Amino acid sequence: MEPKTAPEKFIVPIGPQHPALKEPGHFEFTVEGEVVTNATARLGFVHRGMEKGAENRTWVQDLYLMERVCGICSHVHALAFSLGVEKLAGVQAPPRAQAIRELVSELERIHSHLLWLGVAAHEGGFDTLFMFSWRDRETVMDLLETISGNRVNYSANVLGGVKIDINEKQADAIRKGMDFLEERTQHYLKVVTEDETFLGRTRNIGVMTYEQADFLGAIGPTGRASGVKRDVRVDSPYTAYSDFPVNLVTHTHGDLEARFIVRIKELYESYRLVRELVDKMPAGELTVKVPRRIPEGEVISRVEAPRGELLYFLKSNGSDKPERVKVRTPSLCNWSSVLVTAVGHNLADMPMILAGIDPCFSCNDRVVTVNRKTDSTQMDWEDLRQYGIEYYK
Amino acid sequence: METEKALELAESLMKDFAISTNRPEANRVDFVIDRKNLKPAVDAILVNKHWGYLSAITALDNALWKVDETTKEKSIDPSGGSLELLYHFCQAAAVATLRVSIPYNDPKVDSICGLISSVSLYEREAAELYGIEFVGAPNTDKLLLPDNWPAGVYPMRKAFTSLEDSAKG
Repeated sequence: MEPKTAPEKFIVPIGPQHPALKEPGHFEFTVEGEVVTNATARLGFVHRGMEKGAENRTWVQDLYLMERVCGICSHVHALAFSLGVEKLAGVQAPPRAQAIRELVSELERIHSHLLWLGVAAHEGGFDTLFMFSWRDRETVMDLLETISGNRVNYSANVLGGVKIDINEKQADAIRKGMDFLEERTQHYLKVVTEDETFLGRTRNIGVMTYEQADFLGAIGPTGRASGVKRDVRVDSPYTAYSDFPVNLVTHTHGDLEARFIVRIKELYESYRLVRELVDKMPAGELTVKVPRRIPEGEVISRVEAPRGELLYFLKSNGSDKPERVKVRTPSLCNWSSVLVTAVGHNLADMPMILAGIDPCFSCNDRVVTVNRKTDSTQMDWEDLRQYGIEYYK
Repeated sequence: METEKALELAESLMKDFAISTNRPEANRVDFVIDRKNLKPAVDAILVNKHWGYLSAITALDNALWKVDETTKEKSIDPSGGSLELLYHFCQAAAVATLRVSIPYNDPKVDSICGLISSVSLYEREAAELYGIEFVGAPNTDKLLLPDNWPAGVYPMRKAFTSLEDSAKG
């Protein structure tokens, strides 16, 4: 007779390398059979000491440093930083600059949401959708390149305004691009709400209730998919959002399907805003002068990044270098909430749930599945993804 | 108008705990509280009243600088200064901040993970980079720094210049 032993915990490590998404991170899921019972994260594989670095550079140099915090939403970082510095210096960028800032923000949101749609579809085993959405995303990438000269770090901001302007030719290209993308997006909305195989991977999966999302501080589309009405563009309008307001998009189900619907519907809002902005762009100057030494003080600057609220805390000691630059990116809030909601779900759903928050994260090189006996097998992310697809066949 | 109402509500919730109250911007209110009162204060503002959500924890090193008269070189005066933690709560446009001062010689504060489980990542960041101990935190594993990072070296402290300098003491 075999001696009775306490059941051992199976810990499935995922990470830190991740070929599908952008940044590395490490997650450990404790599982009982198929069901996840605990989840933890280890970040910092791309910790570059930027906050410390910012303290040793001038305010102007920091603008370029901060733009490089994130490769997907580079503009919002530079924007949050510029808005904060301008608030400290007591200046305000001219209306045309503010409108261009909003325009680039929305174009960036379009590219980011389409990128996410592709990644999430890929994790769900729907590579056709992935290919199509990334092909269409090139439209907006080309537009960003046309107006800024760059695909990634658009470098639209300077302290006190913007350095790019929009001419009629570019405006026309933007209008055409929006028409094309709107038509494509209608098709995507149809696919993610009607395709039964795909719904099998998204409907009622990864549900986060309103109460959980609200209390844990879920933000951006992740929170809004659970009915949390949080959007800095609406709550505390910055740049030109008070003149060109955005309508809040929310959903009540809180599952993966809701996160798809919210993000796709937000695309429509962005298309509408972009059109309005190029049609009614205010005329005038692009910059105001900002002093080299920034007056002493502390300021909080919040903007709505594609993934949710981005918060900058800036402290100036009156010199030409900041005393403290604190960056709180939206993924950090949503990670915490996803680690809590992962509990109780199947291991096969983890790729989708992790991708569902649109994490600017991370992860995954090797999954070790340990069973109760001695042998163990190793999976990489591709194997786990495939496992998820097979599981749901 | 709503922002003003929210700020006033925060002020009334914090009146038992606030040592001083300040309005640094039109949409912000800062409360300086004693570190002993951190847990009850968070309990009052967030857990009981659901005033917004905890958006971020900012750690600050308010080092005291002295300037050498002859060489004009700036250096840190160890006799003064302190660490500070700022707990930012956001409700729509309104931001309420709880400010907790923490002395260098006893850098400890109660963890609020028991109240909000999602706060662990923020606390671990401050713990690693500033050397603040969060008493009662469920997870104190390394989060951002490499596994071979030397113990007792906190890179975001103003006194930290480089790993080589830290190794020399």
